Amino acid sequence: MTDQHEDQKFEQWLAKAAQSYNAPRRTPNEEMWARINAARRTRRVIEIRPWLRWSLAAAAVLVLGIGIGRWSAKTPAIPGTGPTNTAAAPSTGVAYRVAAQQYFTRTEVLLTEFRSQQSHGRLDPQFLASARDLLMTTRLLLDSPAADDARLKPLLEDLELVLAQITQLQTDPPPGQRSEMDLINQGMNQHSVLTRLRESSTARAQGVL
Amino acid sequence: MDETQLIARVRTGDDAAARALYDAHVDRVYRLAFRLAGDDALAQDFTQETFIRAFDRLGSFRGDAAFSTWLHTITTTVVLNGLRKVKRFRQREADIDDAHEVAANPRRAEPDLKTRLRQAIDALPDGYRTVFVMHDVEGYTHEEIGAALGVEIGTSKAQLSRARAKLRTALADFAGEWTT
Repeated sequence: MTDQHEDQKFEQWLAKAAQSYNAPRRTPNEEMWARINAARRTRRVIEIRPWLRWSLAAAAVLVLGIGIGRWSAKTPAIPGTGPTNTAAAPSTGVAYRVAAQQYFTRTEVLLTEFRSQQSHGRLDPQFLASARDLLMTTRLLLDSPAADDARLKPLLEDLELVLAQITQLQTDPPPGQRSEMDLINQGMNQHSVLTRLRESSTARAQGVL
Repeated sequence: MDETQLIARVRTGDDAAARALYDAHVDRVYRLAFRLAGDDALAQDFTQETFIRAFDRLGSFRGDAAFSTWLHTITTTVVLNGLRKVKRFRQREADIDDAHEVAANPRRAEPDLKTRLRQAIDALPDGYRTVFVMHDVEGYTHEEIGAALGVEIGTSKAQLSRARAKLRTALADFAGEWTT
């Protein structure tokens, strides 16, 4: 009986004392709604079914491949190297490598730039637009056979996470954005994202991957 | 306009209805996210992600359960998955904070109790801590917790009971606080 009474007293005391545990601040309704609404509007524009995404990625590579094919067809043949416009498949392979190389280079530049912008806590609108663009390309690559590469997939997943966090930031920093940026940077350091990105970029440039 | 009508209008792309639905639930979602995350930036991220997912998936909400129950299922999924991702980072931060607070606060009764209580709750296994925070701190019923976490009501009750027992042991030095 006494134990039961003590249990009750403890439970009442605990429920009251625990109100101080991670006590929430005022709900930042407007700030969060602005970001939710922006994300909803962006999704309405870019929401594409997965199969269509991959079709678009394939189409983009194909268009680039055709472009390179045409360009190489117009390039005068080096004597003794044979015809230049007959190998469609290798052209597409080259196109894919060029597109991937461009993506890695742009991402590396953006993340390096992020570190410099982090020091003053403000972000350039053009920077955020590039981050959104690269996030979309990352997702396209994750849906493509490129993600079958066991070395590439973890890097793409980490890049998706980092870019998704960056795209949530604002050009006019609300209070707390600085610590959000620090958190993103620490995440990048923890997973050596930039180092892996540079290694991958170098390996691709040398044709290893 | 009742909630069912509001949801129907959100499905047709009515932004004002979406805002009304958000206003009706955001406080509770944010409070739970903050209680579990202990960090404003993370709580905001989790709340935003919860509503973005909810609006995206509103087509799959059949109305079998209350909208708030469905929304809190999304909230707990987003928060617990998100916390798993940042756990290592948060643990390091908490260690630094605790070391700082212990050094900065000599033995005065209330701050020490608050710190010890926070440490004891943080040290609970994830499942116990979630149920304890939802029930004892935020006032959710076992039915709501069971639905949100996808566990039986009995499991929720058992986890709460074990959480309280662990806290009682961890706070034994302060027994005078509740026996007097």
